[in-house]
Amino acid sequence: MSEYDVINTRAARLDAPDKATGRAKYIDDMRMPGMLFGALLQSPLPHARILSMDTSGAKRLTGVKAVVTAEDAGMTRYGVSPARYDENLFCKDKVRYVGDEIAAVAAVDLETALEAVSLIKVEYEELPAVFTPEEAMAEGAPLIHEGFSRNLCAEVHQEFGDVEAAFKECALIRTDTFRNKRQDAAFLEPNGCLADFDHSGHLTLYTSTQVPHYVQRTVSMVLGLPLGKVRVVKPYVGGGFGPKAAANPMELAASLLSMKTGKPVKMNYEREHVFLFSRARHQFTHVLTTGVKKDGSLMALKNECYLEGGAYASFGIATVYYAGSLLGAPYKLPNMKYDGYRVYTNRPACGAQRGHGGVAARAAWEQQLDAIAEELGMDPIDLRLKNMMSAGDVTCNDLNMSSLGMKECLEAVRDASNWKEKKGRMPKGKGIGMACGFFVSGAGYPIYRSETYHSTVTMKLSEDGGTAHVYTGAAEIGQGSDTTIAMIAAEALGVPLSDISLSSGDTEFGVDLGAYSSRQTLMTGHAAKMAAEDVKQQVLAVLSETLQVPVAEMDVKRGRIVFKNGKPDFEVIRARYKKEHRGWRDQPSGDDLTFREAARMAYLAKGTIVGTGKYKPEKLGGRFKGAAVGTSPAYGCSAQVVQVSVDMETGKVTVDRMTDAHDCGFAINRTSVEAQMEGSLSMGLGEAMFEEVKFDGKGRILNANLGEYKIATSLDMPPVDTIIVESNEPNGPFGAKEVGEGAIMPTIPAILNAVYDATGVRIWELPLSPERVYLALKKKKNKR
Amino acid sequence: MLLPEFEFHEPTTLSAACEIMAALREKARPLAGGTDLVVNMKKKQIRPDHVVSLSKIDDLRGIVQENGLLKIGACVTAADLAASEVIRKSLSALAEAAGVLGSPLIRNLATIAGNLVTARPAADLPPPLIAYGARAVLTKRSGERSVDLNDFFIGPGETLMAPDEILTKVVIEAPRGRHGDSYIKLGVRQTLEISLVNLAACISFEDPGGTIADARVVLGSVGPIPIRARSAEDILKGELPSEALFERAGEAARRDARPIDDFRGSAEYRRDMVGVLTRRALKTAFNRATSR
Amino acid sequence: MKRLIRLTVNEKDYEIAVRPNQTLADLIREEIGLTGTKKGCEVGECGTCTVILDGKPVNSCLVLAAQADGRTVLTIEGLETDEGLHPIQQAFVDKGAIQCGFCTPGMILSAKNLLDRNPGADEKEIRTAISGNLCRCTGYQKIVEAIASVKDPGSPS
Repeated sequence: MSEYDVINTRAARLDAPDKATGRAKYIDDMRMPGMLFGALLQSPLPHARILSMDTSGAKRLTGVKAVVTAEDAGMTRYGVSPARYDENLFCKDKVRYVGDEIAAVAAVDLETALEAVSLIKVEYEELPAVFTPEEAMAEGAPLIHEGFSRNLCAEVHQEFGDVEAAFKECALIRTDTFRNKRQDAAFLEPNGCLADFDHSGHLTLYTSTQVPHYVQRTVSMVLGLPLGKVRVVKPYVGGGFGPKAAANPMELAASLLSMKTGKPVKMNYEREHVFLFSRARHQFTHVLTTGVKKDGSLMALKNECYLEGGAYASFGIATVYYAGSLLGAPYKLPNMKYDGYRVYTNRPACGAQRGHGGVAARAAWEQQLDAIAEELGMDPIDLRLKNMMSAGDVTCNDLNMSSLGMKECLEAVRDASNWKEKKGRMPKGKGIGMACGFFVSGAGYPIYRSETYHSTVTMKLSEDGGTAHVYTGAAEIGQGSDTTIAMIAAEALGVPLSDISLSSGDTEFGVDLGAYSSRQTLMTGHAAKMAAEDVKQQVLAVLSETLQVPVAEMDVKRGRIVFKNGKPDFEVIRARYKKEHRGWRDQPSGDDLTFREAARMAYLAKGTIVGTGKYKPEKLGGRFKGAAVGTSPAYGCSAQVVQVSVDMETGKVTVDRMTDAHDCGFAINRTSVEAQMEGSLSMGLGEAMFEEVKFDGKGRILNANLGEYKIATSLDMPPVDTIIVESNEPNGPFGAKEVGEGAIMPTIPAILNAVYDATGVRIWELPLSPERVYLALKKKKNKR
Repeated sequence: MLLPEFEFHEPTTLSAACEIMAALREKARPLAGGTDLVVNMKKKQIRPDHVVSLSKIDDLRGIVQENGLLKIGACVTAADLAASEVIRKSLSALAEAAGVLGSPLIRNLATIAGNLVTARPAADLPPPLIAYGARAVLTKRSGERSVDLNDFFIGPGETLMAPDEILTKVVIEAPRGRHGDSYIKLGVRQTLEISLVNLAACISFEDPGGTIADARVVLGSVGPIPIRARSAEDILKGELPSEALFERAGEAARRDARPIDDFRGSAEYRRDMVGVLTRRALKTAFNRATSR
Repeated sequence: MKRLIRLTVNEKDYEIAVRPNQTLADLIREEIGLTGTKKGCEVGECGTCTVILDGKPVNSCLVLAAQADGRTVLTIEGLETDEGLHPIQQAFVDKGAIQCGFCTPGMILSAKNLLDRNPGADEKEIRTAISGNLCRCTGYQKIVEAIASVKDPGSPS
């Protein structure tokens, strides 16, 4: 018997019926009268100086209403981290990658806008371009950004403890190099926006975004509009996964065009543009050296990582930190050294994507730990368990595991997958592998230096009817946050879910940093809980006056008032309510005073009842440089077991089964938690097996489409078993913490380890294309 | 993504279509399923002034069996081929290939004619069709001709069709007697794939337990056009089937292949896979022949 | 030059002048105003534009509007009845098979076509039927469970 009425259930999602019936409106479904269509001029060259630009032909074309360039946009720089604002809306002096934005056009229809773009004449002076960190850092390499010698966008050097000293005490030290490939987030809905600058100088920007708040700030800053006159509204979003977690040039361009024309301006990325924009997962090359004692105790980790960053910083500063910090847990690791380098290249900029910076690192390390276990003659699960942290432990880099169900997750997948019966007993060509991982539940600090609350929520009780309207800036991007927040609000207020109506994703509803770093359940959840409790207290306070019962002896549960010390006579309240609602057929009846009646009372006594909630984490982390990145009020964690079959003659890998256990603290919506686990696994599987953005020698993407950039189809994904572990996170609302990104962490290494189990070959480069696996098998065969 | 502008024609008879093609020639493209033409028009790789839809011409639909010949209308879709009882029974490798072309959605649009005239090196239907000795009927205003698909392809995207010809039918003599067929497609994912290597193998026997009377091995994706692996076929003919024979045939097919390195994969890998997959296809074909 | 076509969409007859270079997807979304059919890639690789055309699920981004003359189209909006959600829609809602929802209309239509043809479809058949509909959010797990749970798929179309 659950102590909760709404949360921890499988409530159907609030937005599901609209999505199932085609009623849900995404950005491309929106129209406005007089709407113009925008198009971008983007660089065809990876690195070039702009010598001249002539927009006259475009401006003259019938139907063109505005053409904007850097002259109109100004040169206010922006980006993600204020410490590294390196982007301009439009390039003025030079272009830095194929796709770099140079100008934009608004016209009466898309055909005209595209034709106008083709009429803009740009004279380029091509510059030598660099495409890999090696090329970019080489002596004499062309500089992509002034002031960043060797094209080093960011460098991180951290040491916790003394790694070299620790290595001396190790019985086994192993070094491995691992490389993943650039990914694309491949959300099904391409980015799009609709900017509407009205006659009073207000801009409303509708956009497919994860972060209305950050977009609002960027638009205001870059275009010089007062923040109070910029409103960002998020319609339904067809997936985000990271690249939609910052303002993009299209949003800025559409806004500028709307300001210039006074008309609404619609812009979309086509699928190819999504690839050109990228801001998706970096390519990481990790060199990991791990030292252990003879009994398997982890002593030290040295991690050197190069990130191929693309032409702009985007989220990359945080990424290069995460690539180190996210190996600090979940194992006791007393000594860790990290040197990370994010390098500019003349390719689309990389940013944050599900698992932000930790996915490749985790893949590399968990495969290495497997190899170490084998060398020590230990079962890989036993090696993990031996080194497991416990709740309350703090990592060497000051990350506090306030709750950590890692051990429970590991044991759960071990048992559910029949690991003990299968490990070491599978026929050649079949294998089983495991891995662990963890992730933050919201970054400990906002992206810009500020004391701001990370989330504010307002709850307004309807003046009549007993329903509560929840207003939040949080972004429902498919993960289910609307329903989760509504469920938290309902639980905290004491009413059924059906009595909550939630509005979200609009900067007018409050500050919310948005859907990134897996923060909303914990952070927005806290604020919603607080707002609901505020409303409840206000209602109970009025009730207390009328009924002469102390507030402490009353509560609201399931839409009824609960009295701890005997029910008072509330006939007067009911009679007045019924009189006010003469003619209604659903008059309150029964032994309990309903919340509906109490809420009405509260309105009559005080006017509109509004409750507010807010949340920001307490100061987290150590005092070393970059300590902020990796900090979080809580950490979710996942363990996974994967079974594969490998065709030993063709190298083709088939994933047969995946079992994941994830500690989400406390599942607010059990179905949504499982669903996020399953989605994480499919993105991890895609990256492990198929996904790779490919370039030609001129910086152009070869596979900027969903046919050749291959995400998992229904025939590539196996059945997935998900197990929810609940460790009751003290820092989370009702004990809840993240699930959105933790479960992708073990996926790639579990597959790699399973492939090793099946074939005897360890592969240290992704993806596991049939050719790569085949060549590895061939090499092994030739060695004999 | 916008389509370029063009004039649209929708003849309801074959002769009307031929008239249009005779008049417009290179300026016009016939349109059946659109899974290749519409995509390439959106990518601005092709900009015909005229598009001639064949969808309303009844003569181009249907699968007819008469006198031991199977006649497949140009606009028969891949889905129809995969589901057709008669194709599954008599031309099983063709049904197999049609069943893995693209995706289920693509299969409902893509046509047999389209998969031939577009002449993509990795196309699914040419290898089994060539293996079955299929012929294409090319029709124009002044008449029609029938060509062996062995000779049909000239290069990537190029066939021997004249600008005013329409491929209206594929005619196949259904294999008789004891035979087995197989189609294999190797891609990266399980669906929605352009093959790394694909191939069809058909072997026939005079007597059960006897030697191989005839063999056809046709390779896709490893040359500018589908390749008859004649060395493999020569090794097979007249021999008693065995693992070792199929292995040798695979090695020979490897030599016949002419793969290139491209962004999907290397020539070396493709060549090796020709050997492996030819051997497997022959084994499957043999098993099917003996189980009849 | 535009041409007048007649087609039936969700059991309603339309007579519309279409441009030759207009796709069926755009016709449905722009002219008829049914935006449940989505555009995710526009080249037939993602399935978000799936509609049922004369009883077969197809990528409407690859069909010219003009080619729809005389034909019958079912879009996601045509599934709901006066009694409520179609059983497949309800199953998707109940089983948590919907996250961002962008693949959902196409996915449901592919599923409907499968269950119309093969009400007792097994897991392999379900996965094959939806293999042209990409999903980035769900890993397909709950989608397959939802489709498998539909016992009475309603009347075929």
